[in-house]
Amino acid sequence: MAVTWRAVVLAALGLPVVLLVPATGTVLLWALLVVVACAVDVALAASPREVGVRRDVPASVRLTEPSSSTLTLSHLGRRRLRGVVRDAWPPSSGAQVDRHRLDVAPGEGARVRTVLVPTRRGDAHADRVTIRTLGPLRLAGRQASLTVPGRLRVLPEFASRRHLPSRLARLRELDGRAAVQVRGPGTEFDSLREYVIGDDVRSIDWRATARRSDVVVRTWRPERDRRVLIVLDTGRTSAVRVLDAPRLDASIEAALLLAALATKAGDRVELLVFDRKVRGRVASATGARVMAQFADTLALAEPALVETDWPGVVAQVRQRLSQRALVVLLTALDPAAVEQGLLGVAGQLTERHQVVLASVSDPEVDTLRTSRDSAAAVFDAAAAERVGLERAAVAVRLRQRGAEVVDALPDDLAPRLADTYLALKAAGRL
Amino acid sequence: MSAPTVTTAHAPVVGDGTSVRSRSARRWRRARWWLALLGLVVVAGLLSALPEPRTSTLTLAPDNPGDLGARAAAQILGRQGVDVRYVRHIAEVRSLAAPGSTVLVVGDYLLDADQIDVLDATGADLVMVDAGWALGLLTDTIAAGGGTGGEPEVRSAACDDPDAVAAGSITARGSLQATGPGAVVCFPAAGTDTDLGGAYAVTESDGRRIVALADVAPLTNEHLAEQGNAALVLRALGRHEQLVWYIPSLDDVGAGDGSTDAAPGQLLPPVVPILALQLVLVVVVAALWRGRRLGRLVTEKLPVVVRSGETTRGRGRLYRRARSYGHAAAALRAGAAARSAARLGLPRSAPAPVVVDAVARATSRPAHTVEALLYGPPPTDDRGLAQLARDLDHLESEVHRT
Repeated sequence: MAVTWRAVVLAALGLPVVLLVPATGTVLLWALLVVVACAVDVALAASPREVGVRRDVPASVRLTEPSSSTLTLSHLGRRRLRGVVRDAWPPSSGAQVDRHRLDVAPGEGARVRTVLVPTRRGDAHADRVTIRTLGPLRLAGRQASLTVPGRLRVLPEFASRRHLPSRLARLRELDGRAAVQVRGPGTEFDSLREYVIGDDVRSIDWRATARRSDVVVRTWRPERDRRVLIVLDTGRTSAVRVLDAPRLDASIEAALLLAALATKAGDRVELLVFDRKVRGRVASATGARVMAQFADTLALAEPALVETDWPGVVAQVRQRLSQRALVVLLTALDPAAVEQGLLGVAGQLTERHQVVLASVSDPEVDTLRTSRDSAAAVFDAAAAERVGLERAAVAVRLRQRGAEVVDALPDDLAPRLADTYLALKAAGRL
Repeated sequence: MSAPTVTTAHAPVVGDGTSVRSRSARRWRRARWWLALLGLVVVAGLLSALPEPRTSTLTLAPDNPGDLGARAAAQILGRQGVDVRYVRHIAEVRSLAAPGSTVLVVGDYLLDADQIDVLDATGADLVMVDAGWALGLLTDTIAAGGGTGGEPEVRSAACDDPDAVAAGSITARGSLQATGPGAVVCFPAAGTDTDLGGAYAVTESDGRRIVALADVAPLTNEHLAEQGNAALVLRALGRHEQLVWYIPSLDDVGAGDGSTDAAPGQLLPPVVPILALQLVLVVVVAALWRGRRLGRLVTEKLPVVVRSGETTRGRGRLYRRARSYGHAAAALRAGAAARSAARLGLPRSAPAPVVVDAVARATSRPAHTVEALLYGPPPTDDRGLAQLARDLDHLESEVHRT
C-alpha cells in the first residue's frame, strides 16, 4: 500500500467544499471519499508480485569508473503495470538515479538501467528491487520488495599506473634495448656485439675477438625469471587513516604498480594477503592474468583489527619460496608494532631473501612537527619529532638486519617502491 | 577495462514469496500489540472522562466544591427550581439577564464602568457580593465601608428587612452604609448600631432591587450552614426563577457588545474549526504519502575513521598534561640535531661534540651557543619551550653544507 501526491491533492480539494458546506459531516464524507478512491485504485493496480525480475551486473569494475546494473522486467499479470521500480544498491556503489518509471502492457517487458559509479573498493551486494504499481487514477498503489541477487566487484583504482610508462622506460634502459645505448648493467650474459667507441674496454670479450676480425664486447642484461613475493599486511596498522583513505589503499596501489612492473620485467610475481591468517593469495599466474588476479584479490582486502602474526608470515614465505626471491612487505613502520613483531623475525627472512619493507607515512605528522602556533602545538611538534626519530631508529635497525626500507607519503609510495625494485634489479640483487 | 556482463541471477525472480494470507497474518502479528495498547489507552481515556462532572477551584464558583466554593448554594437553588446559569462574560449576562431575573455579581476587581453600565441596563435584580466600588456606580443610596478583615463574626439582623429577619443572624465581616433614603442596612458588627454600617444592604431603584453583601463568607460552602446564612442567601438569590451567576473574568474586556476587542476564539468565523479538521485530513494523507518509503534503506559497513595523526597528538597532550618540558625539549633538540647532522653529511652515530662543532662552523655561530641550544638545560615553562623551538628553527635554517 502506498499513496501518491494525487491523494493529497484529492484531500486538499475538500477545502473549498468545506467552505461551501461548513459541517463536520462534510469532512467525514470527504475523508470517506478519499479512502474509497484510494482503495479502488489499490484494487485496480497491477500486482507487483506478478513481475519477473532479472538483474544483470558486470562481474567487476574499477573504482571510480562508471558501471551499470540492468533490470529486466517481464510483466506476467493481466492489468497494465504503471509505477516505479527502484534498484537499490549500497550508498558507496554510487547509484546516480535508482528509480525508474514503468509503463508496461500485460505480457510485455521493460529494461531499466541504473548507472553505478562506485566510491569504495570491495564487493557491493545489491539490495532489494522494489516495485510500486499504481492504479488507473494514480492515487494509490501496491508495493513489493523482491530479493534479486546481484554483486559488483569493485577493483582497486590503480591510480599509480600513471607511473608505469616512465618505469618501463627505465626498465628498457636496463635491458639494453633502449634507443640510447647505455650498456645494460646487470649480471646475466645477454649477447655479443661489435665494439663501438665509448664502450667500456673491460667488457671486451677477447676470446670472441680472437675468433673474428672485429673487436667484440659482451653485453649484459638484468636477470629475468626472478620471483617476487608481495606480502600485504592487513593487520590493525593498515586500518589507520592517512589523509582520507586507509593506509591499506596506498599499499594496494604500490602492490599493483610493482606487480605490473615486475611482470613486464619478466619476473614471476606472487601475492600474499595476511594478518593472522591468509586472506588471499595469487600464485603461479603468468602473463596478462597476473594483473587481473591481483586486482581481484586486492579488491577484497579489508583491514582487520588484529595484530599481525609475523612468525606466521615467515612460515608462509618459507612454504611458498624455495629459492632466493624478493620479498616485499607492505606494512606500517609503526615503531611499537615493528619492535613487537617484525624485528624479531626479520633476520629469518633476510638471510634467505632480499627483503623490502614499504610503509605509508603520514603527512599530518610533518605538519604537526613544524607547527609553532601555541604551547599545545609545540608539545605536539615535540611528539611528532619523537615519532619521526623512533621511525628512523626502527628503519635503521631493519636496515642493519639487511632489509631495504621505503617510507613514503601515500601518493609517493608506489613510485618509490617501483624505483627501489628497479635499483635492486640494476644492482643484480634480486 | 570493461569486464564482460554476467548474469548473476539466471532465472527471473517473481514475487517475494508471500501470499495475501501470509502478508495479512504477518501484519496482524506485528500490529496486534500496538493495537492492544491503543485500545487500552482509549478505554482508559473514556473511563477517566466519563463519571466526574466538571469542577473548578474558583472562589464562589457554582461548580467549586471546596471551602471557598459555592456549589452547595447553587445546588440547593437548582433543586428549588431556580435556573442557575453560570457565566464569565458580560456579553452572556447581557443576553441572559432581563427584568424578572436575578444577577449575582461576585467581586468587582475585574469589572470596568462599561460593564457596570451593562449590568445596570439589564433591568434585572442585582445581588452584589464583595463589590463596593460597583455599588457606588449603580446606586447612590449604599456605599461600601471598610473592615472586611478578620474572622467572620456572628451578627444579628437588627433591621426590618423580611429576608434579614427570616435569617435572624449570619456570620459575616465588613460593612455597608446607607447614604440615602430607601436603603436598609442590616447585620451591624456585634455591639454596634446599623447607622455605623452592616454586612447586608437592600435598596430599590428604578423598579429593581439591589442587594449588597459586604462579605463572601455567607455564600461559601464552608459557612453556608452556619447561623442563618443559608436562609439569607437563598432568599436573596431565589427571588426569581432565573439566576445569572456572573463571576467577572480576566479575558473579558469592554461591554461585550462587539464595540471592543473580543476574545480571539470569538473573533474567528465558525467555519475555521471545520476547515482545520479538513486540513488535518490533508496532513494525514500527506504524511502517508511521504512516510511510505520505496523499499528499505540500504546499509553498509563504514571503514575505520581513526586518523594516523591521532596517536601523535595524543602523545603531545600527554607531554603537555604531565608538563614534561624536558621530554619535549629533548625530542625537538634531537630532531633538529639529526636533521642538521644529516644535512652536513655526518653519520647518524656522530657524537655530540662533533655535531656541535660542525653546526657551529656551518652557521658561523660560537660553539658554546650552539651547544647550549642543542644540548643545554631543559626549559621550565611554555614560554621557554616555545622560545627553544623557535631558536632551533632558526639554527636549522642557517645550516647549509659548506
